[in-house]
Amino acid sequence: MSHVAAARAPRKVRLDRSDYVLRGISYLTVTLFATFCTLPFVLILSASLSSETAIMRDGFGLLPKEFTFAAYEYIFRAPRQIIGSYVVTIVMTVSGTAIGLFIIAMTGYALNRRDFPFRNGISFFIYFTTLFSAGLAPTYIWVSRYLELRGSYLAVFLQLLMTPWLIILMKNFMRSIPYEIVESGKVDGAGDFRIFLRLVLPMMKPALATIGLFLALAYWNEWYLSSLYLGSTVEFKPLQYHLYNIINTANALRNSVAGSNVSITELPSNTLKMASAVVATGPIVLVYPFVQKYFVSGITVGAVKG
Amino acid sequence: MVMQASAATRTDVEEHDPVPTRPRASLLRRIGRNRTLLLMCLPAIAFFVVFSYAPMPGAWIAFTNFNYRDGIFGSPFVGLRNFEFLVQSGQLWLLTRNTVLYNLAFIVLGNILQIALAIMLNEIRAKYFKKISQAVMFLPYFISVVLIGVIAFNLLNYDTGYVNALIQQTGGDPIKIYSIAGAWPIIIVLFQLWQSTGYGSIVYFAAIMGIDNSLFEAAAIDGASAWQRIRYIILPSLKPTFIILLLFSLGGIMNGNFGLFWNLIGNNAALFSTTDIIETSVYRMILSQNNFTSSTAVGLYQSLFGFALVLLANWIVRRINEDYALF
Amino acid sequence: MMRNRLARAAAAALALAVTTTTLAACGPSDGTESGEPTTITMLVLGDKPTNGRLEAMLEELNPLLEEEVNANLDLFYVEWADWQTQYNTQLLAGDDSIDLITTATDWLFAWENAEKGAFLPLSEEMLQEHAPRTWEQVDAEGHWELTKLDDGQIYFIPEDNFTQWTNHGFFYRGDWAAEAGFEDGTITRFEDFTTYFEWVKENQPDAYPWDVAGANEAALIGYLQGHTDGQTIGQLTAGNYFPFQTTEADPYTVTSWYMEGDELLEAAELAKEWNEIGVWREDALNYDGQTREQFFAGLSGVDQHHTQTYVGTIVDNMTKKQPGSDPKFFYWGQENGNVFRDILTHGAMAVNATSNNPEKALEVYDVIRNDQEAYMLLTAGIEGTDYVITEDGELGYPEGYDSSTDALGSNFWAGRMDEFELDRVTDAPNKQEIYDGLDAVAKEYPYSTFVPNKDLIDPTLAAMGGVLSEYIPQLQYGKFDDPAAAIDEMRQKLLDAGYEDARDSIQSDMDAWAEERGLK
Repeated sequence: MSHVAAARAPRKVRLDRSDYVLRGISYLTVTLFATFCTLPFVLILSASLSSETAIMRDGFGLLPKEFTFAAYEYIFRAPRQIIGSYVVTIVMTVSGTAIGLFIIAMTGYALNRRDFPFRNGISFFIYFTTLFSAGLAPTYIWVSRYLELRGSYLAVFLQLLMTPWLIILMKNFMRSIPYEIVESGKVDGAGDFRIFLRLVLPMMKPALATIGLFLALAYWNEWYLSSLYLGSTVEFKPLQYHLYNIINTANALRNSVAGSNVSITELPSNTLKMASAVVATGPIVLVYPFVQKYFVSGITVGAVKG
Repeated sequence: MVMQASAATRTDVEEHDPVPTRPRASLLRRIGRNRTLLLMCLPAIAFFVVFSYAPMPGAWIAFTNFNYRDGIFGSPFVGLRNFEFLVQSGQLWLLTRNTVLYNLAFIVLGNILQIALAIMLNEIRAKYFKKISQAVMFLPYFISVVLIGVIAFNLLNYDTGYVNALIQQTGGDPIKIYSIAGAWPIIIVLFQLWQSTGYGSIVYFAAIMGIDNSLFEAAAIDGASAWQRIRYIILPSLKPTFIILLLFSLGGIMNGNFGLFWNLIGNNAALFSTTDIIETSVYRMILSQNNFTSSTAVGLYQSLFGFALVLLANWIVRRINEDYALF
Repeated sequence: MMRNRLARAAAAALALAVTTTTLAACGPSDGTESGEPTTITMLVLGDKPTNGRLEAMLEELNPLLEEEVNANLDLFYVEWADWQTQYNTQLLAGDDSIDLITTATDWLFAWENAEKGAFLPLSEEMLQEHAPRTWEQVDAEGHWELTKLDDGQIYFIPEDNFTQWTNHGFFYRGDWAAEAGFEDGTITRFEDFTTYFEWVKENQPDAYPWDVAGANEAALIGYLQGHTDGQTIGQLTAGNYFPFQTTEADPYTVTSWYMEGDELLEAAELAKEWNEIGVWREDALNYDGQTREQFFAGLSGVDQHHTQTYVGTIVDNMTKKQPGSDPKFFYWGQENGNVFRDILTHGAMAVNATSNNPEKALEVYDVIRNDQEAYMLLTAGIEGTDYVITEDGELGYPEGYDSSTDALGSNFWAGRMDEFELDRVTDAPNKQEIYDGLDAVAKEYPYSTFVPNKDLIDPTLAAMGGVLSEYIPQLQYGKFDDPAAAIDEMRQKLLDAGYEDARDSIQSDMDAWAEERGLK
């Protein structure tokens, strides 16, 4: 956030009463809103640490009732499903983000090159897909019946690689690269791809971080394409779809702890659902503080610039 | 999409930079000369050809009595039969109304809250307080809509929900929230705001940070109050950002936030009258009813209506200020 | 086709362009080289068992299949979670790795899917050559007629040589019913369940009177069947619903119990009363639970399914898990004898239209249906570990066997044969009595050979399915404040959807069909 900090020189102004009132309101509101954002997480976490009987008797609450790790014990007693889902999701997220980011950056770069005669044509070709789309049903039939991708992770993986908006966003980020860089590269005899790889990409870190995070979020939080194209055809569902199933169907809940061979009536269904939610969400919440810096600065660059 | 687009503020999507003048070569020559750049675009082009353009002819299904044996173009043509009932029953109108109203609520309330929050964030001086509160406010944006479904259940269900637990503790009777259609517009809008406000405010916050400091100093010298500062400096300078965001959101007005609606409502028919939007109905028709024809018909309507809306929004913006128009 | 290939090539190019990924598509395995056994994949319904018994069984079954027809069998499961959706989606995706498809005309949309092109039409020559034993047995009884569309082609093979009763009803507890004041603990009328439910609500605080999950219309159908002489035409579906009936009094006039008469309203009002008592969970529509296990655990007053389930699993489980519970069965139409024999296509096997090995698939089917050793392996498992034959020739289970965790789960429900089936030690002791009772009253399904032409009414049926899926679940759970108004509204929408045209079109098909057979 260095450039933003620089833009904000220390302000030396006399504060009058309205400033103090505003400031007071601000602290109060921000605190309230931040609390409002946190509460649901607290609810889920404490529910996952409560005993099933307490939940059934008193309902969910802000603090764990009859504190216990029982639900987590169930999950980790037969962790096969959840581990499988983790592997699938991590592989997809990492490779999808890397590959998608690379393609988006290449395209954004080419489309921003002033001397590229096809740039407007191709931009419109990509942009048009946001204006008009075939719709879900034809796309579904096309992908499953003609591309024969139903039941394959590729159906999910490929379709999440890029969106028109991310390409347009990347193209706009690329404007911050002075054209002289390209020219200096050319003078040195470097080809277009080499210029992109060696000169442009290293300058694009905030943009890559921002768009990469969007991609990673899309992969990590994916459940929708899985529900359409994977269903029950794969043994290991992507994490959020696995969670979706656990939440919505008792069968899936039982299957997720199938190794324990228990009757559904003996399962702590409510707390188990909450614990699954925590396990499926935890990593992204833990990773978040580390990427927040890049994310914020990326968005800020995009917004301030222009 | 709206959120992602927001980062592209002020830079127009289809802005035509002057191409360095150069003698016009034949197409083949131009392709040859730009082959590297073209190749760099190729994966993206292939992607959109395969996943966006190729399925488009399939929209023909909307006019057929589709079956797999005869395929998309071999199935019997039925004209507008598939639309007839959708219109006649009022379903299309209901879906349009819900979709548009929800989006308007999201856009209006969302922007007001985001701007307000951004202004307040700007007032905060304590560094760590600011950092932590920001971090916490963005958190909801990071989680999946599936988890939001869990949260809603956790809060609202009849037997064990937190809300009903609170009501019972205070001696009230529990509320059958999952049966009250009228309550859900509020609930859905609240969840949407919960998820997107913190994140959205950062865009406005960034725009405030970009305001020239001398303006504030001049205002302070003139003895302007905090309210005047907001009214005369901050709000006007947020206008461009606001308009661009608005334009993008208007373009996407026919797309609700499918995942949110689906994970909150699912197949609960008791709530459809106030919560069914175009996308949920399209999805349900395919997955629960195997009804590809009506689903395609609604989808096609959505696409065309959305297309018209973008043109309209763009036209309006162009009338207000040509610089902000998309094309 | 050219277009498809181009597109596939483009997709392949894209896949190549982006592939450095390790993600593998789980594609079909083509093992068609001569000499190598072909793997035939059979789609079955159910949750894939995880206890290893299925794999062990297949390891014994496959050498047998290899020897006879040079093929292996593999099973593909459509999980119970959201099975209607998953089943249809799976079929229409045209997945060519699947060869045989379990289907049924009354609960697995066989007609729908045949019309939509999911099943391969089976020629007589093909059946005679590749499934000769099956051909002969079905042909001898003239049952191929039951599997033809209006193009005269055979689309599936009926499970026509297997006696079962799949008429639905309530399982309830005789001990609780007795305490609720029913003589003998026996309930004989649908609406009397109100008393039973009220008793459960008051006296069994841990239990729901009827723990029921998800979209469902049992509470309506149970009433309608027992209070009208309506006979549902199973060939006509609208979404997941069967909206067309005739009446026993006037068997060749098409009508609909959703559209005509006051009985739907009476049923809805009863459902509303039940809802107000708190018979089911308040959030039943958003709930998906294993309600049968709740019943076994004493947490539900009733469970709903068919005679076969009662005889085969309910009595045994309840006797063991809830000793003294005296499980009983009340079936729909018990009051007025409006109950039908099983149709012969309650189970059926189709060949996937996109199967790479349709002939081989038929050969495999012919073996598992007609070869006793293969049949026993597939349906019962390995003797000694999965089952034992008792001294009196019944099928029993080895020491320590627990049916809830040790089940084989091969779920072969599309070609069972009476001559290979044994009585099971877990069968209800009064099984024969129940069968005889049903035998005495049940009617023959009259429309087995009726094939309505649906080309013209498909959009209407689709629209009607949409309307019904919105109203029926809410009526079923008594969620409308004013059921009468809701039913009026629903009927108006069904009319708007074109109900009358559809009915007239079906009526003229019915007239022609009845005339042809000299019925009218």
